[in-house]
Amino acid sequence: MSPLQYLTEEWRSEAERRLKAELTPERMNHITSSMSNVYLDCPDGTAKYLLFRFADGVLTEFALGTGEPPEAEFLITGSYDVFAQISRAELGAQKALMTGKLKLKGNMIKALKLAAIADRLNKVLAGIPAAY
Amino acid sequence: MRPLDPASPYFVDFPGRVRALQGEMARAGIDVYLGSRLRTLSWTLDVFCPWRSFVVVPAEGPPAAFTFVIDAARVADETWIPEDRVFGFAPMGGQDQIELIAEFIKDLLKGRKGRVGIESGMSNYLPEGNLTHYEFERFRDALAGNVLVNAHDLVDRLSLVKDPGTIARFREASRIVDVGHAAVFDALRDGGWKGLTETEIAGLAALAMRREGSEWEWSFTGGNEIASGYRTGFTGGACTPASRRKLEAGEPLMVDIHAMFRLGLGDHSHNYLIAPATGRQAWHARNFTDIVALTLETYRAGISPSELAERMIGFAESRGFADDMVPGFEHGIGMMGDEWRIGMNDGPFPYWTNPDHRYRKGELLICAMQYACPEEAIGFRYENPIVILDDGCEPLSKFPLGVEVIS
Repeated sequence: MSPLQYLTEEWRSEAERRLKAELTPERMNHITSSMSNVYLDCPDGTAKYLLFRFADGVLTEFALGTGEPPEAEFLITGSYDVFAQISRAELGAQKALMTGKLKLKGNMIKALKLAAIADRLNKVLAGIPAAY
Repeated sequence: MRPLDPASPYFVDFPGRVRALQGEMARAGIDVYLGSRLRTLSWTLDVFCPWRSFVVVPAEGPPAAFTFVIDAARVADETWIPEDRVFGFAPMGGQDQIELIAEFIKDLLKGRKGRVGIESGMSNYLPEGNLTHYEFERFRDALAGNVLVNAHDLVDRLSLVKDPGTIARFREASRIVDVGHAAVFDALRDGGWKGLTETEIAGLAALAMRREGSEWEWSFTGGNEIASGYRTGFTGGACTPASRRKLEAGEPLMVDIHAMFRLGLGDHSHNYLIAPATGRQAWHARNFTDIVALTLETYRAGISPSELAERMIGFAESRGFADDMVPGFEHGIGMMGDEWRIGMNDGPFPYWTNPDHRYRKGELLICAMQYACPEEAIGFRYENPIVILDDGCEPLSKFPLGVEVIS
C-alpha cells in the first residue's frame, strides 16, 4: 500500500483497523484503560492528540483531534518528531520516557504493568507505511 | 589507626586515592574538599561511619575525619589516617560540627579566601549524605568570603572503575553471601520450611554470614530481604524487608541477602518454589532463569543500560513474558554508601543513572532483575555484583542460578 500521511484521518482509520485485527483482548491482557498521546509541534503548527480507550482488552475508542485531549488515565506528551521516530521503530517508547523525550502523566505503578502492552501497540502502528 | 598492608589481597591505596582527589581538586581550582556523603567517607577513610560525618581533604597532606563524638574513638581506631586527624564533634562551645570544621578549613586556607568543594544533590538512597540545606547555609555563613561549590563529580569520577583490592573485598563479601544462601537452603529442605517466617529466614542467613565474618547485613532495605507468596510479585517491586509472614506450601519464596566485608558489599538473591509447584509456576521460573542467564551473557564493556534493557525486553516479548519483567536490569554499587546510581551525573534526569552510560572494564554494578506477576502472586528477583570485563562480566556470587522446588 502507498504511504499514508501520519496523523491524518486515513492513517487513523488504517491504524484502527490494524489495532483491532492484530491486538486481541488476550494480547491486550484484557485491560481497561485509556491513554492520550499529545503530539506537540506538528508540521502544521498545531498540537494533535490520539486517544486510545480499551475496555476488557477491546479497543472501544480511537480518536484523532487537535487541541485539548479528552480525559484519559494516562497522558503522554512529546514532540511530533519523537512520536514519529517511535512510529518508525527508530526509538523505543520506554527509552523515550527514560531520556525525557516523552512525559508521562498517570500512576507509575499501573504504567509499569502496561509498558509491554504499549510496546505491542506501538509495534502495530510502526507497521503502517506512513509519510511524516 | 589501622596501618595499611600492601601485601593483603584487600589492600586499597587510600593515600593514592587522596592524592588523586587532590590532583582533581587542583585542576578544578578547589582548595579544600568537604565530603559528607557516606560513599565519600568510605572511599577516603576506609571506615564505616554510621553517624553524621565529614571528611576534609586539604590541597595536600592527609585528610581529616569529623564524626559524632560518641563514635570518634572507634573511627580513629579503624581508619588508616593518623589518630590526630580524627575529630569528634559535640554540642559544646567551639565543638559543634559547623564551627569545628569551619575553623579547621580556615586554618588550612591560612587566612586567605578560597574555593571549598562540597557535596550536594539528591538520591534514591536515603543515607546518601549530601549536605543539607541547613548545613550549607551554616557553613556558608561560617566560611564567609569563601566560595562553596558543588564538587561531588570529582569523587564520582575517581571511584567509577574499581581497583583490585576493592573487587577482592566484594568477592569475599559475595563468598560470605553464598554461605548464607547454603544455610538457608539447608534450613528449608526436607520440610524444614514448615512453620518458618520471613524474619526467621533473614535471621538464620545473617547468623551464617556473621559466622563467616560479615560485619552486617548492610542494606538500608531492612537488612536481608525475604518475600514469600504474593509479596514476591509486587508490581515493579524490588524492595521487600522481611515480614512475619509464614511460608506456605505452593508459594514462591525470594531470598535476597546482604553481607559486608571491609566496606565491600555482597548482595545476591536466590528463589524457591515451595512444593507442590504447578506447571504454570515452573513456566514462570524457567522464564526468569533464562533471562537472567542471557543478561549475564550480555553484560560487557561498551554496552549501555538502555541497550541491554531493549535486548532483554525483546527476548521477554519473544517468549511471552514481557508483561512480567520490570524493565530495569542493574543498579550501581561501590564501597558502603555507594548504591543505586550508575556512572556520572550526566543523564537526562539529574542524579539518576544515565541510560546511555557506556560501561567500562573494571566497573562494578549489581545485575538486578525483577520478575513480577501480581495477578498470579508470583515473582522472582536476581541480584549479583558483577565486574565488567572487555568481553563479558564476572558474577561475584557463585551460588548456582536456579529456582529450586523445596519439598
